Amino acid sequence: MKRGNRKNTVHDVLKRAGRNVKLSMCVMGLGQMLYGQIGKGLCYFAVLVMAVIYFVHRGFKDLAGLFTLGTQEADTWLGIEGDNSVVMLLMGILSAIAVLFLVYCYLSNIKDAYETQKLCERGGRPMGFREELKQFLDRKFYKTVLLLPILGVCVFNILPIVFMILIAFTNYGGSTVPPKLVDWVGIDNFVQVATLSQFAPTFIRILGWNLMWALISTAVNYFAGLGLALLLNKDCVKGKAFWRAFPMLAYAVPGFITLLGFKFMFSYGGPVNQIITGMGHRAVGFLDIDAKWMARIIGFTINAWISVPSIMLLATGILSNRDASQMESAKIDGASAFQQFRHITLPFVLFSTTPVLISQFIGNFNNFGIFFFLRGGLYIDGYFLASDTDLLINWLYNLSINNNYYNVGATISLVIFIITSLISLLIYTNSTSYREEDTFR
Amino acid sequence: MKKIGSMILAGILIVGMMSGCGGTGTEQSAPETVDGDAKEIGADAAELKGIYSGELERGVTIRVLENDTAISEGYFQELIDAFNEKYAEYGIVAVDANMDQYSNLADDGPYGYGPDVLYQANDVLMKYVEGKHIYPIPAQSMSCYDMIPQAAWDAYRADVDGTEYIMGVPVNIQSSMLFYRKDMLPDNWETEWDKNGNQIPDMAESWNDMYRYSKEIVDRGEGKFGYMRSLYDVYFSSGFLFSYGGYVFGDNNTDATDIGFAAGDAAVGANVILQQAELMNEDCIDDSVTVSAYSKLADGTYFATMTTPDVTSLFLRELTNVYEKEGLSAEEAEKKAEENLVVTQVPKLPASGDLTEENPELIPLKTMGGVNGYAISAYTKAPNACLAFVEFATDYEMVMKRHEYLGIVPARSDAAQAAGGISEIIYRNLDQGDIVIMPSIREIEQVWTPAQTFFQDLAKDAFRTTDKKYTSIDLIKEGLESVDQQIYDAIHTLAGGQ
Amino acid sequence: MKRKTARMIDTALTHLILIAVCFIFLFPCLWLILASFSKSGSIYSFKGFFPQEYSLDTFRNLFTDTEMYNYPQWFRNTLFIAVMSCLLGSFLVILTAYTMSRFQFSGRKMIMKTTLVLGMFPSFMGMIAVYIIMTQFGLINKMWGLILIYSANAPMGYLTQKGFFDTIPISIDEAARIDGATNLQVFYKINLPLSLPIIVYTALTSFVFPWSDFILPKLLLKEKDLYTVAVGLMNLGETEFSRFAAGSVFIAVPIVILYFCLMKFFVNGMTFGAVKG
Repeated sequence: MKRGNRKNTVHDVLKRAGRNVKLSMCVMGLGQMLYGQIGKGLCYFAVLVMAVIYFVHRGFKDLAGLFTLGTQEADTWLGIEGDNSVVMLLMGILSAIAVLFLVYCYLSNIKDAYETQKLCERGGRPMGFREELKQFLDRKFYKTVLLLPILGVCVFNILPIVFMILIAFTNYGGSTVPPKLVDWVGIDNFVQVATLSQFAPTFIRILGWNLMWALISTAVNYFAGLGLALLLNKDCVKGKAFWRAFPMLAYAVPGFITLLGFKFMFSYGGPVNQIITGMGHRAVGFLDIDAKWMARIIGFTINAWISVPSIMLLATGILSNRDASQMESAKIDGASAFQQFRHITLPFVLFSTTPVLISQFIGNFNNFGIFFFLRGGLYIDGYFLASDTDLLINWLYNLSINNNYYNVGATISLVIFIITSLISLLIYTNSTSYREEDTFR
Repeated sequence: MKKIGSMILAGILIVGMMSGCGGTGTEQSAPETVDGDAKEIGADAAELKGIYSGELERGVTIRVLENDTAISEGYFQELIDAFNEKYAEYGIVAVDANMDQYSNLADDGPYGYGPDVLYQANDVLMKYVEGKHIYPIPAQSMSCYDMIPQAAWDAYRADVDGTEYIMGVPVNIQSSMLFYRKDMLPDNWETEWDKNGNQIPDMAESWNDMYRYSKEIVDRGEGKFGYMRSLYDVYFSSGFLFSYGGYVFGDNNTDATDIGFAAGDAAVGANVILQQAELMNEDCIDDSVTVSAYSKLADGTYFATMTTPDVTSLFLRELTNVYEKEGLSAEEAEKKAEENLVVTQVPKLPASGDLTEENPELIPLKTMGGVNGYAISAYTKAPNACLAFVEFATDYEMVMKRHEYLGIVPARSDAAQAAGGISEIIYRNLDQGDIVIMPSIREIEQVWTPAQTFFQDLAKDAFRTTDKKYTSIDLIKEGLESVDQQIYDAIHTLAGGQ
Repeated sequence: MKRKTARMIDTALTHLILIAVCFIFLFPCLWLILASFSKSGSIYSFKGFFPQEYSLDTFRNLFTDTEMYNYPQWFRNTLFIAVMSCLLGSFLVILTAYTMSRFQFSGRKMIMKTTLVLGMFPSFMGMIAVYIIMTQFGLINKMWGLILIYSANAPMGYLTQKGFFDTIPISIDEAARIDGATNLQVFYKINLPLSLPIIVYTALTSFVFPWSDFILPKLLLKEKDLYTVAVGLMNLGETEFSRFAAGSVFIAVPIVILYFCLMKFFVNGMTFGAVKG
């Protein structure tokens, strides 16, 4: 509603703006103050002052740095401090965000003044500061609540992502790392990746396996976790807390310790092979170079071992929220246990855990640890710097971190990112949990 | 040297470059030409005047990054105590940097979190040169200059902007040694296994005899083995390739466009590894042997293994435990362990590459090695005090102490001589060019995974019942060539414009 | 009669499966626990899965031999970081999820889609940026820096919690609002008590993540005194297996305790289920 409103009035605002609105256009908050809204006016004015201080102090410099990425190479031996291109890129993005924020505040300041003007024209009285603040605990409660999370996510999540996306358009990597100066190279990296003949076959192979891995392991973990929760929810099971403690034990051990432990367990000298050889058989290479499918299956199993407890926990919580009366009436109607599950429990749980399914899918798709710990350090024939159990994220790691080509890594991750996010967006926007959020309300 | 999960850390630590962690690397053949007194190396003190004014900073604290064993064995405390006492009048205090021994100066230094002085392996330290994260050292003006062989200085030599610099001071030479149990030798070894009568058993002198003895042990069918080693480990396995003409990078390990794992008759060397694998069990394919060797050598399952001398104390501890369990007192057990664990030079290889040949012509096994040393961070506020510290820590007295505490092999000739034993052998091998120092260029990081994959595949081949891959020297050579190609790809394909 | 046997078979079968499941989960943990009580430091002196000799020495060493490996210090650091991140993180997630579930505002669907897409980005690619941000803010070698990142990233996982809030009938809210409650009151007087299970779940997960993470602490905490348990364990020498095992076992203890403390809130969240309808 608001957005549509604003569009209509851009022209009107300019034409019909009164003295106070015009003053707000010149100096943020001035118009509000003249309307007697001193508190709000001061807030807007404070934003302006802070912005000016920031931009004079370093904002303009940072913004310029975003384009130049540094002009003076550092040389510690000669005592030249020089520019660090990577820091400049990052601070540049930060200053660009600051500009956007300032523009947003400025527009909201004008809009606010204009709304007040309209209100006065209609004979109303400008709202007091206290009243306005109160709104943030009520009608605008969401704004108050979301402020901190959005700020945090912007700095520690979006900023790094924007940074990496921009890296895809630079030559950062190889020997071009600070103190050497990094430069913008346009779409060179994309051209290079697209024309690299070894790249496509490996990409397709790994993408295929990665999708399979994500789908199967999500399904396995999800249904195993749900099944376990249902099993523990049965009336005949006494001492539920006790039984539940065992999966929790698995949950309590940090994932990387579990993975190292399992790796050792399945190694040639590990206990599993000791038992096998003890019985007079030959040692089995569970995770070695030839163990493609064996290693993959072990990966599925261990991943389930790690993830099932938390899904069980979550499903238990959600099941406790299930409508018991519905179950009772179904029972009275003579529905079998399976029918109850199929028609009441499953739709309910599926609805409330679709987000879990999606986050599981994402988590599994980008499951870096599992094959890195279990079977890292292998490049297999037919793959370009990857092994047959590597997921895209492991491959990316080989390319970008192991081999130091951040630009190529960023380019490929951008490509992967676009593909995967399109897929998951499509799934998500078509899911009931997204489209019919209030099914169970 | 290896840590639980060091591999893992190696990567995630991002920003800048990674070290292979645990240090592995090589230099290629023919260091004979490098020697000679005439060749003066490195920029001298006068040229480095801009960095080292020669005047000690007063009242500064320098943070020193040492390796974990030096700290845990108490050597480091002794070192800084002695240093602090000597420089008390200047108010210079050396302290523990209190950081991970493998931490990367390129990540920490520029932001002000790095140490002032670092003790790390040469391949790690030399990574810092390209970004000028460490200062060059006025080596020729240091008292240890003449005592350290050129081959060791070479590991720290770098060409920056057309001038040659020395970037670090060698302290300790690291290379592979043969570890075996004296009490597991055959009773009649002095008559049957010592052809040349030099009181050294033949299996410690020639891989052919080691092979023969291993076969004898395995054939007894008691589940025991002769020589055992995790073969995937590039640090130990690549030496066999180097002995027959292989190398890592061309032009004395400086030309990353020329990769030489398949060069010369390297395939013959790989075939030697394959023959050795046939007398081992599957444990040699992954890291099982590396981790288990300490206890399995102690309980008599293995007769011999090859590893670096810095882990000697771990072998001794395990062996002592076993003897104690057999009923000896702690003191006797320790004495017996020291007597029976022999750490010596690696055996020689047959020139033909055939381990079953009798009376073969022998050539030395070249082993990969490293030189650990001190370097000075370019982000330090007190370069002169740092230099004083390095000078202090590398003088004869401290190096000897280091040797006593840690059993390291000194890079100083006088200390190596005084230390005798292994130190002397390794020192001599380095001097003769039998130790191939790992390359000091950044590209070395891309070598490990492809090479490691190959060696694992090779070891696995000994246990494949069908579809053996490496049935002839030519097939092995093909395998090595694909390793070269993979390394080349990793280094160059993504670099753009190639 | 027939029904009774059927039920008995069902009960027996259920328990059989449960025992099997518990064994699967217990066995590797048991292996780790027993290994931590092994007398020999090396895991290769074991026969098969379990050590030959047991002793308490490793645990004693773990807490007393602190010169190189200061486990108690690591433990304190980890506890501090995990508790603070858990409190802040859970608070933010719950609020975010609640808001996203209950409020209709412009840009809401966009935020939902954006967060979903952001989650797909390979996180380690952003580590370089995170590291530089922290150097610029001077938050390297500061535990609060770590807490800041964990809490700031927590709201990204709000989808699960939102799914839960979506199942709480909105009719209660409306009734309360008619009675004159503000949105804030509706939240903490009505919805919060109803959401105990998901709050417990959130608290547990946001405690466990910082508790067992080693990538960020390794990246941001460089001084050995600031190590967390995960980083410290990774730095152990190769023959310190039983110390590693002991450290790993002990790291699980707080989580198990937490579980037992929170469990009763967890399953009983909706006992007063009169609100359904």
